[in-house]
Amino acid sequence: MRAVFCCLAVCFALTATGCGRERTVAVPVAPPIVLVDDHGDTVRLPKPATRVISLIPSATETLIALGAIDRIVGRTRYDIDSAVLSKPSVGTGLTPNLETMVALRPDLVILWSSDKRGDVQAQLTRAGVRTLAVSLQDTTDAFRALALLGDAIGERAKATTLIASLQRTFAATRASVAAEKKPRVFYVVFNNPPMTTGPNTFIAQILALAGGENIFADSPANWPTIPMEELVKRDPDVIVLPVGEMPDSSVNRLHVMPGWRDLRAVRAGHIVRIDANLASRPGPNMGRAAVALRDLLHPAQASK
Amino acid sequence: MKAAGRIALLISLLLVAVLIGIRVGAVGLSFADIVGAFTGRADDATRSIVLGLRTPRVVLAALCGAALALSGGTCQALLRNPLADPYILGISSGAAVGAVGAVMLGVDNGPTWMLPVAAFAGSLVALMLVLRIATIAGEAFDSRILILAGVVVAAFGNAIVLLFLTFADVESFRSAMFWMMGSLSGATWTRAATLGVPLVVAGVTLFGYARSLDALAIGDTTAAALGVSVESTKRICFVLASLLAAVSVSVSGVVGFVGLVTPHAIRLLWGSDHRLLLPASALLGASFLVFADLGARSMVHTAELPLGVVTALVGVPFFVMLLRRRDG
Repeated sequence: MRAVFCCLAVCFALTATGCGRERTVAVPVAPPIVLVDDHGDTVRLPKPATRVISLIPSATETLIALGAIDRIVGRTRYDIDSAVLSKPSVGTGLTPNLETMVALRPDLVILWSSDKRGDVQAQLTRAGVRTLAVSLQDTTDAFRALALLGDAIGERAKATTLIASLQRTFAATRASVAAEKKPRVFYVVFNNPPMTTGPNTFIAQILALAGGENIFADSPANWPTIPMEELVKRDPDVIVLPVGEMPDSSVNRLHVMPGWRDLRAVRAGHIVRIDANLASRPGPNMGRAAVALRDLLHPAQASK
Repeated sequence: MKAAGRIALLISLLLVAVLIGIRVGAVGLSFADIVGAFTGRADDATRSIVLGLRTPRVVLAALCGAALALSGGTCQALLRNPLADPYILGISSGAAVGAVGAVMLGVDNGPTWMLPVAAFAGSLVALMLVLRIATIAGEAFDSRILILAGVVVAAFGNAIVLLFLTFADVESFRSAMFWMMGSLSGATWTRAATLGVPLVVAGVTLFGYARSLDALAIGDTTAAALGVSVESTKRICFVLASLLAAVSVSVSGVVGFVGLVTPHAIRLLWGSDHRLLLPASALLGASFLVFADLGARSMVHTAELPLGVVTALVGVPFFVMLLRRRDG
């Protein structure tokens, strides 16, 4: 169990108000923030982070949603929010330019805990830069990361509100399709070879609450590669195709690729497209992703 | 007659390979399902799996194996070098530059024929470059210079591919790696025909040069003394062998090992008379690649293995066994 600890010690200033004569310290001293990240490392911040580089696009979106756009000093090539585009890019999330990052003097770098080589984190630590490793496999991870980021920038209250609002949206979306017949869905992570989501990712969980039945929910892997024959055999009712990562023409491509072109969903045109940047980022837009998927899978519920 | 018997044996082996290849796959189908698919009595999914996926794939595997083995056998005779393989004249790295370049430009999201065409164009450029370098270096079609030119062009091509990959995003990287490791998952009847027609034409032509290849395998001077027109034979055979490799690489990616080792296996077993060696290599290569692809798509249930990995993993122990048998 990776718990998130935040030492919310009572502020000296408040104490001073109560017992003014006993305290001679006039300047309030913020208590240090102690976090345990998803890597299991303890991260100590003397004060809420003010110069943050996020190597994870969904974490960048979370920071913006928490009103911390001014605290972001660097971004990755994959960040798309217009507010953050003016910030300097440090490259990609997994192979960022370390010198650029260090030169931006960040007091916190947010990165993936699943970076197996761990090179980036080790190099940054050696350079004296504090890092916070975040895991984002499922929605539980995503909510925990939201809280963790909130703590790191001293905005726990906003994070709690955001989490509650997302959970309300999830609940409402799930309720709206409770009585509906669930279409059997193949979610395209990659088309050749076919790759999809197992049952335990945030995408699978959002798909489920949006009223879709993942035809590969029995897969032990998180992102399984599927033999084409198996996909033809299971023959989904609907194909969900995230667009953006794969260009739009990939829909036409499914009509000519061996195997794909024989699927009922392809022949009947039951391919629904969703913005990849919305669907594949476990951040503050998960609620919108759930609603968008629900609207695509259950158009009758869309207007409600 | 001995030769005819051996060819008949290899043809039977290939037929068995093809039947097993169609019978076995990721989805378990009964014998009745398979027959039903061909007679039209099976359901849609079964028909799609058998007729749309498995059968074209098995046929393409057989054609690729045949093309690569035939090409490898020819190159080994012409270059008098046991390490010669179909890609020796820069074919695979040229094709890789074309294919990865196409992936990077997003061309592979267009029509499905674009990636093979880009790969084929790349391999042609590499081939011309190799022949040109060999000509500049002096006597054309000198084996050593050709091999050197091939190695140099391949190194250059690999550098360009790595350069492309440095700037690739995750999706492109994945597509590019998948292509370079070799796979027959894109098999269609169109691709099979694209490879089948040149294979037949080149196969018949090369078979006509079998006696000249026998002489050339001994030496250029000997061949000339025996009345072989060395220069033109080399030119025609090299170009045909390389074109075969180029078409094959275009439809299946880089599949190593088959072209290198199959002709050696035949030589170890039955000697190096090219009138037997060429057709026998083609047939053995075909069966071998059908089995290797069967392994690639069914050994691990959850994923498809790269074909080049399977050919080497299965092929090396088999080849070592052959070598031991010869020594013993």
